[in-house]
Amino acid sequence: MGATASQLEKEIGHEFPQNEHYFGLVNRVLGYKPLSKRKESLLTCLADLFGNIASQKKKVGVLAPKKFVARLRKENDIACDTQMMPKSVKSPDGGNWRTSCSKTNCFDNYMQQDAHEFLNYLLNTIADLLQGEKVKEKEKDKHSSTSSVSSKSSVSSAGTTNGGSHQKTDPTWVHDIFEGILTNETRCLCCETVSSKDESFLDLSVDVEQNTSITHCLKGFSSTETLCSEHKYFCETCCSKQEAQKRMRVKKLPKILALHLKRFKYMEQWQRYAKLSYRVVFPFELRLFNTSDDAINHEKLYDLVAVVIHCGSGPNRGHYITIVKSHGLWLLFDDDIVEKIEAQAIEEFYGLTSEIQKSSESGYILFYEARG
Amino acid sequence: MASSRGATGQEIKQHFATKEGCYRLLDLSVYSRPTKIPYSVQQCHPVRVSFVTVKDQGGCNDRIAFNVGRELYFYIYKGVRKAADLTKPLDKRLYKGTIPTCHDFNLLTRSSDSLELLIGFSAGQVQLLDPVRHEVNKLFNEERLVDKTKVMCLKWIPGSENLFLVAHESGHMFVYNKEHPAGVGPPQYAPMKQGPGYSIHSGKSKTTRNPVCKWTIGEGSINEFAFSPDCKHIATANQDGFLRVFDFDSQTLCGVMKSYFGGLTCVCWSPDGKYIVTGGEDDLVTVWSFLERRVIARGIGHTSWVQVVAFDPYTTSISAGGRVDDSDEEEIEQNGIAPSSGSSSVTPDDKNLTSYRFGSVGQDTNLMLWDLGDDVLKPQRPRGRSMRNATLSNSHVTSTNCLSNGPVTHEVSHSGSGNAVAPMSFDTPKSLTQVHSLSKSVENLVNIGNVAPGTALCPKMEEVSILEPLVAKKVANERLTALSFREDCIVMACHEGFIRTWARPGKVGVQPTGTVV
Repeated sequence: MGATASQLEKEIGHEFPQNEHYFGLVNRVLGYKPLSKRKESLLTCLADLFGNIASQKKKVGVLAPKKFVARLRKENDIACDTQMMPKSVKSPDGGNWRTSCSKTNCFDNYMQQDAHEFLNYLLNTIADLLQGEKVKEKEKDKHSSTSSVSSKSSVSSAGTTNGGSHQKTDPTWVHDIFEGILTNETRCLCCETVSSKDESFLDLSVDVEQNTSITHCLKGFSSTETLCSEHKYFCETCCSKQEAQKRMRVKKLPKILALHLKRFKYMEQWQRYAKLSYRVVFPFELRLFNTSDDAINHEKLYDLVAVVIHCGSGPNRGHYITIVKSHGLWLLFDDDIVEKIEAQAIEEFYGLTSEIQKSSESGYILFYEARG
Repeated sequence: MASSRGATGQEIKQHFATKEGCYRLLDLSVYSRPTKIPYSVQQCHPVRVSFVTVKDQGGCNDRIAFNVGRELYFYIYKGVRKAADLTKPLDKRLYKGTIPTCHDFNLLTRSSDSLELLIGFSAGQVQLLDPVRHEVNKLFNEERLVDKTKVMCLKWIPGSENLFLVAHESGHMFVYNKEHPAGVGPPQYAPMKQGPGYSIHSGKSKTTRNPVCKWTIGEGSINEFAFSPDCKHIATANQDGFLRVFDFDSQTLCGVMKSYFGGLTCVCWSPDGKYIVTGGEDDLVTVWSFLERRVIARGIGHTSWVQVVAFDPYTTSISAGGRVDDSDEEEIEQNGIAPSSGSSSVTPDDKNLTSYRFGSVGQDTNLMLWDLGDDVLKPQRPRGRSMRNATLSNSHVTSTNCLSNGPVTHEVSHSGSGNAVAPMSFDTPKSLTQVHSLSKSVENLVNIGNVAPGTALCPKMEEVSILEPLVAKKVANERLTALSFREDCIVMACHEGFIRTWARPGKVGVQPTGTVV
C-alpha cells in the first residue's frame, strides 16, 4: 500500500482540499448523534468509522472497518434465522423486481454477499434505527405508561412492512436522500378504469439487455405489461378478475437515484443463476424518460457519482470494486488499494459485447445525484 | 415487406423497405481483413471508413480505406457492381505502439497515381500516407509535444490543399499545414480569440512551424466536427454535451445547443446547410436549425448511444422535384439519383414538399432512417396554441408517423419563398449567417453549469417535435461505427471490422455467382 498511497497522494494532493474525504453519506452519518450513548448499533459503528476517517491527519491511508464488520456479523448472527435470502428472486406477481422496499433482514455473512442486498440492508437498518429513535423521542414527551405499547408496534411495522408504510412513519434522512415514489397505474381492459397506487422506493432494479443503455433499461422498467391468465388483476369496478395493463413510472424523483442492474438471472435451462455481462452503457449525465404525467420537476438532471462494479464470472464468486467521483476526480476503491482513474477508463465497466469471455468487470449499481 | 416489422428483434436484417423501395444487403460486398480473426478485443477503436473517387481508365474508380484494430486497409471499392476481392488490398499497414482511429482523403490533390490519406492515432500522432505509392510522406505530432491524447476526428479543411484540422480527446483542436516543419520543442502559443466556452491560440514561433493554431473547446473530448457545405462554418460535438457552431474564418461562435443529457458523439450538416443533426449519449438524434438557432426536433428510437449521423443527399428533396448535390462529390451524375422504383413520383401536391432524409447508427447495432418534412419544419398551426391541446389532437399525427406536438412559438422566418431554394449551391444565403449573429443561446453559455431544460439551449421534451424512425433495423452483431450514404448504396461498418454494402432500391446487386446482372 505504501507506494500506491504516496502515488495517489501526489495525484490528488493539490486538488483535494485539506481534511476532505471521499464518502457519500459521510456528512449525514457524522452529524448523527445517538440518543442513548450506551447502545451500540450499526449506525453508531458507521458513524465511528466515518468519524475516524474524517479525523485522520493524512489525506491518504487505510482503515480497517473492524468494529463495523464485527457489528454487522453480530446483528446477522442474531437476526438470521432459518430462511435464506436467495441471490435474486423474481417477484410472485411477475412484475419488476424491487427489493428496495422490502427489508432484507437475513444476511448470511458466510456467503458471498450481494452488494445490492447489502445496500438495502444497510439503508433499511439505518432508517429503522432512526425511526426507532424518533419514536422514543416522542415517547419521552408523552406519558410512558400509555404510549409504550403503540410505539413498540410502530417500530416493528417500520421494520417489517414494505412500500408505502415509510410514508406513514416519519421520514428519516435515509428517505430524504434515497427515496423516490413510483406510480403504479393499472388499466382494466374490461371497464377501462385506471387505478393508480403510489409506492416508495430506495432504488430501482432494471432488467438488462445486450448493447443497450441504462436509459433504455429504465424505459423497459416502465414499459406497459399485460396481466393475463393466472396473473389477472382484480378490478374493483368490475368486481372480478380481469385482464389489465400495468405500468410503473417515477412520480417523485429521488435526490440520489440508485439503479440496480439485474445482472444475476436465474437461467431455467441450467437450473442456476448466471451473470449477464451484457454491455450496458451509462452516461455521466442522465434524465429520466419514464416519469409519470404528474411528476414534479420530471426533467431533473442527474450526475453519475458512484458505481459498484462486480468483477467475476458468476453470482457465487467474484469481487466488488467501487468507483466514486470526488472533487472532480474519479477514484477506484479496490479493498485497500485506491487509485485515481481517468473518466474515459469507466468505459471498461460497461460490460462485454461478446459471450466468449466469461468473466467481466461490469457496472452493477449506479448512483446518480440530482444536480442543484 | 416481411422485414418491415419487429424493429428491435435479435435477428439481423438482410433487407428493409422504405417508400422509395427495398434496400438489400449485398453478402458478397463485405469488406474486412483479408483473413478472419476471431473478434475478442473489447477496447479496440471504432472502425471508420473513408472513400475517395479517382479518375482512371479502369471500371472501378472508387477506393475505400478503413481501420480495424492495429491495421489500416486500402482496397478498390467495387460497391454494388462486383464482389469484394479481399485477397488483394492495394495497401495494408500494421501499427505498433499506437492505433489508427480515423482518416480522411485529400479531395483536391487526388489522382489515380497519388493519394493523400491523413491518419490519426490513439496516442495523438498524425500520419500523411500515400496508399497508392505506399509511402509515408510525413508525420505530425510525432514526439507528442502538441497533444498526447487520442485523435477523435481529423479532416482536410475544405478548399485547402495543405491545411487540415485535428481534434483530440483533450478538447483541443489543431490546424496543421502539411508543408510546415514540426519545429523544435513544444509549441508556443499566443492568444488570438476568446469567447464563452472556447479560446483560440495561434502558434507563436518566429519560424513557421506546426501547429498553425490551437482551438480549445468546452470541457472534455471533441468527439466529432463537421464543416458546413459552404465551408464557412464548423460544428463541433463535444463530450460536455454541447454542439457549438463557429464561423471558421472569423473564429466566432455563432450557435450553441446542449444535448438532452450526456455527451454528443456525432454531428452532420444537411446538404443545404440549414440544419445540423447530432447524436449522443441521450440515445437521441437532435435536429437543430442553423437559421433559427434552436432545436426543432428530437428523434427517439435508438436503444443505446448514437454513434454516427449522416444526411442522405440522394433521397433529400429540397425544392420542387429537385435533388440536392453533395458538395464533396462533384462526379455525381444527376440522372442516377432519381429513384428507379417506389412511390415518390412527383405529383402536383408534392411540388413544394421539402423532405430531408438522414440516417443514424448506434451502439444498439441498429440502423435508423429518419424523414424530416414540412410537418416538422413548417408547422401550419397558429401561433400560441397550447402544447397540451396540440398533443391531444389526432389531426397532427402525420403520415410519416411524426408526432407533431412541436414548435409553437416560432414560424419559420423564410416561409413562403424559402421552400423554393435552388438546389444546393456553394453560396449560402446571407440570412443564414446574419440571423442573430450572437444569439441569446450563446450568451447563456457563460453559465455552462446551469442547463435547465426549457431554455433555448436545451428545450424540454414537450417543447420540440418528436420524430420516429421510418426504418429501425438491427443490421449487425456488434456496435455500428460508420455510416455513409452513396449514390447507389448505403455503407455501414461495425466494431468487428466488417464493412457492409446495402444496395439502394433497383440498383444492380452482386449475384451469388459473382456475375453482374
